Amino acid sequence: MSSDTKFQVHHDAPEAVGRRERLGVRLLIVADGAFVFGMIFSYFYLRNLDQNGGWIPKNGHTFSASSGWMAVLPLIVAALVHKLAQRDLSHQGSFSLITLVAYIYGGYYQLHQLANMPFIVKDTGTFEGAYAACWVVIAGANFFHYFVAGFIALGLVIRSRRATVDPVLESWRIRTAASWFTWVAVSGIALAITTSFI
Amino acid sequence: MTTLDQHVGTRPIPNPKKSLITKLNAGTGLIVGIIFALLTYRGLSTVLDISIYELNNRVLLATMFMWSIGFLAGIGAFIGPIRWLIGEDLTAEEQLYLAGDGQGIKRYFKYCTDHKVVGIQYLWGVIVLLAVGGAMAMMIRTDLANPGGHFITPSVYNSLVGLHGITMIIALIIVATGPFGNYIMPIMIGAADMAFPRLNALSWWVLFTAIPVLCSAWFLGGIPTGWTAYAPLSVQAGPGMNAFIAAIIIFAISTAVSGANITATVITMRAKGMTWNRVPIFVVGATLSVAMAIPAFPTFMLAMIMTAMDRSFLTGFFDANVGGTGWLYAHLFWIMGHPEVYVILLPGVAILMEIVPVFVRKPLFSYTSAIVGFAGIVGLSFLVWAHHMYMTGWMPMLNGPFMVTTEMISVPTGLIFLVILGTLWNGKPWLKVPMLAVYAFLWNMLVGGITGLYLSDVPADMYLHGSMYVTAHFHYTLMGAALTGAVAGLSYWYPKMTGHMLHERASYISFWLVQIGFQVLYLGMFIAGAEGQPRRVVDYAEQFATSNKISTMGAYTIGIGFIVLLWAVIHSWRHGKIAPMNPWGAKTLEWTVPYPVPLVNFDTPPVVTSDPYGYGRSAK
Amino acid sequence: MSEHDSVDLKPTPGDRLANFYKRSDVIQSTIFGVIVTGIFVILGGKFYTKWMPTVMSTDMKAIERLMVVFTWIAAPVCGVVLGVALYTFLNRHSGDTQPPDGPATRTNGPIVLLWSVVTSLLALTAVIYGITELNSSSIASAKNAEDAMVVNVTGSQWVWTFEYPKLGVSSHVLMLPLNHPVTFHINSVDVNHSFWPVQLGVKVDANKLAETIAETTPNKLGEFDVKCAELCGLYHAYMETTGEVMTVDDFNSWVVAQGGHSA
Repeated sequence: MSSDTKFQVHHDAPEAVGRRERLGVRLLIVADGAFVFGMIFSYFYLRNLDQNGGWIPKNGHTFSASSGWMAVLPLIVAALVHKLAQRDLSHQGSFSLITLVAYIYGGYYQLHQLANMPFIVKDTGTFEGAYAACWVVIAGANFFHYFVAGFIALGLVIRSRRATVDPVLESWRIRTAASWFTWVAVSGIALAITTSFI
Repeated sequence: MTTLDQHVGTRPIPNPKKSLITKLNAGTGLIVGIIFALLTYRGLSTVLDISIYELNNRVLLATMFMWSIGFLAGIGAFIGPIRWLIGEDLTAEEQLYLAGDGQGIKRYFKYCTDHKVVGIQYLWGVIVLLAVGGAMAMMIRTDLANPGGHFITPSVYNSLVGLHGITMIIALIIVATGPFGNYIMPIMIGAADMAFPRLNALSWWVLFTAIPVLCSAWFLGGIPTGWTAYAPLSVQAGPGMNAFIAAIIIFAISTAVSGANITATVITMRAKGMTWNRVPIFVVGATLSVAMAIPAFPTFMLAMIMTAMDRSFLTGFFDANVGGTGWLYAHLFWIMGHPEVYVILLPGVAILMEIVPVFVRKPLFSYTSAIVGFAGIVGLSFLVWAHHMYMTGWMPMLNGPFMVTTEMISVPTGLIFLVILGTLWNGKPWLKVPMLAVYAFLWNMLVGGITGLYLSDVPADMYLHGSMYVTAHFHYTLMGAALTGAVAGLSYWYPKMTGHMLHERASYISFWLVQIGFQVLYLGMFIAGAEGQPRRVVDYAEQFATSNKISTMGAYTIGIGFIVLLWAVIHSWRHGKIAPMNPWGAKTLEWTVPYPVPLVNFDTPPVVTSDPYGYGRSAK
Repeated sequence: MSEHDSVDLKPTPGDRLANFYKRSDVIQSTIFGVIVTGIFVILGGKFYTKWMPTVMSTDMKAIERLMVVFTWIAAPVCGVVLGVALYTFLNRHSGDTQPPDGPATRTNGPIVLLWSVVTSLLALTAVIYGITELNSSSIASAKNAEDAMVVNVTGSQWVWTFEYPKLGVSSHVLMLPLNHPVTFHINSVDVNHSFWPVQLGVKVDANKLAETIAETTPNKLGEFDVKCAELCGLYHAYMETTGEVMTVDDFNSWVVAQGGHSA
């Protein structure tokens, strides 16, 4: 940042700005965490209540437990690759490219699952059963996580090729991104465990 | 060096890079938002092969969200993220421009990152919401003035009840943390701005887009559900329900963003020397309140997404025929709903705690108790949600435990009383309007708290649940305590926010009209509830006529009182007595800056050496 | 710092305590407090018994008693809060200038401790009282469950229907025999309703396809109101009917007149 004007939005050291941004992201993760908690709560509440035997869709089709794990695997891989990027900042651009590809693939895979739901009632285009409802909202949340993480990864890739970016602040941005990447991986695992109980 | 105009003189000429930024404002936002909405409505209707005259749930929801996104795009909310994405971060000049430097009144209609501008935007947003919600309340009370009256139809009445409720809830959630949390709080902690100025602007403009969405419910047939929007009634409801759902989801996003921002600001941006035991109590209360909102609101958002899915895609979250249950909705709603009550209450109480030492000229009594009280309320509030569900039958055996946690809340609430009473004790209070509000709070919160005790008790709640008694109880806490605190904050900080004193005689008259009308209104409603009148009824039996008539008279008195206050606020904004820098002789940092407050608040960053409550004879 | 604060400090705690009772602020606050407490105690006995409807079951009696007792528990709290508030309000500073500084009391350990203990005890009293009431009512319902008459209550937009399965009768008004335990099995066919026979002190939600149960024993002859206490759509306000507690003979003849067979 240039400092030729007296005014600056934050005249703090990059460390202070970086820490602050990471804190902000973590607070937003708390919000997302409450959302994920709500989904897990709903899943098990409806599953254990099994109101009038309506948990399993009427046509009996559900996803297998492994398909839930397949949908979140790229989240986990990307988070691990990003750890490497943090360790080796000189190759961060290449590592970020891998995370980006993982997120794009994962997002695509999740959409693919949503488009081929086994419990969909063909003639009405609707689905019945509380399981189906919960599964859809969880898949939607996964997709949202892929979308946001993909946006961040894309930014990291592009920015690693730009000379205009302040490297000190950028190293903090990479650590801040790690918070989100780790969280979406953790939430993905939690949701995959949840959907393993059919 | 002290006024904005002088700042302007020393600024360099805008550089060409920010040409797009300079062209965007609320007007372009409206245009782009409306274009987005129209295109979505038309396009999606065509894709789904639906007549444009059929108010389809999917199309309506998509239209409302695209309006919001379009507006934000049009006002320039996405410039920052996109510039980050392509690696061209905003320059210092551009950030300066976004802070509205030297743009006069126009900056209030822009994506302005200055926390003081956002504070004023929130203030007027709150005033509009309160006016709309208040007008609805007047219509409700007019309808209920007489039994068998047909002032409005049941359908309109139900919509009024629901929209009054949600409008007031939204207004009260932001009434203290919006205007004062944004305008005053950063100055109070000695910061130059909020931690994330662009997110600050985002939180306000996102909220702004929710207002027309909520209003559109009227033109889509209204909502029949009350603000709680219980499923399956909400699933069965007409197209107006989509407006409710979309508004809540948008509002929840705004709350999360603003909560993260305020919390991060207080944690990382405090002035040098402002250790945790020197933070003004308003800052503590407001921060705990918004920090509590961060995990609370997403569950409401989830409940709304589920409702939308049940309505639009016929999933079965709440449909008992296919394995769902309305209890799930009630859980998700009240896991948000009860913390939300304290999200509203805490900042109001904290404002009053900030006011008492100033007007009694004594230190705040037992600062630690205040913190413990706030923290206890925050902690317990996440463990009490099912006391709203005693009578739903979801699991009667858990009523006992939830009764215990609920009644335990009276202990931290008691500490809050102790702090205020201890500060008052042995003091000679200076009864300006803010201080009067403290007394009003003591009485109202006492009534609200004690009536809450009956409601927390399962057998008593068996009778009172769903009756007018509940309505009276929560109005005592939310309006009598929280709103009173916010109005006190308005007359307390008005000099700092506008440079003028709030018209004193008018605010006295308003105070007494509102408070007396309030007691009359809800005394009548307590009686109606004890007699057995259910809430949310458009009509009632002859036996409740007297109590309802009393209530309506009280309501009109409140209405007149608030009109007087509104006049005072508008009149004093330009024509009020010019305020001195520190009219109340307070010791918090916001009174050390002049009006207009400089862009970066302090010319030299302040250093704090003690807490702001060093009043009293032997304190030196 | 705190040693300097207490300007009223006397050499020994005993002296201080003795002087404490002579201070005019203490005396005035206490007088106000006692008056307020008295008002609330009297009000507690009068307000709810005056305004709440006729008691027609033991459950309703228990509720009414609870309201009274809770008001009494709250009365001393009101006394303390309003006593101090009233005293300081009357002791206000008049004029347009700032008042002089008061004593710089930062905190007072014993008072904070005492206050916390007392409020905790009051809360505990309320909890224990509530739990015993809850327990005794559930014991009573368990006792009565066997010989109780079953009534299936169905809420639908916007009508209540009462079915007496053993008697083969169905009705839109709720007739109950005197002093005979009755168990309501409550259900809804559409949205949530809340079944509320007001004078019987019973209220339970009606959920779709999920039965809820409530139990009571009416012990007074006369008519009562049945209302819906959960917003259920357009005509929620009009979803009400009446019921009557009648002698067993009257009840049996009503059943026969409705085409059922008497118990």
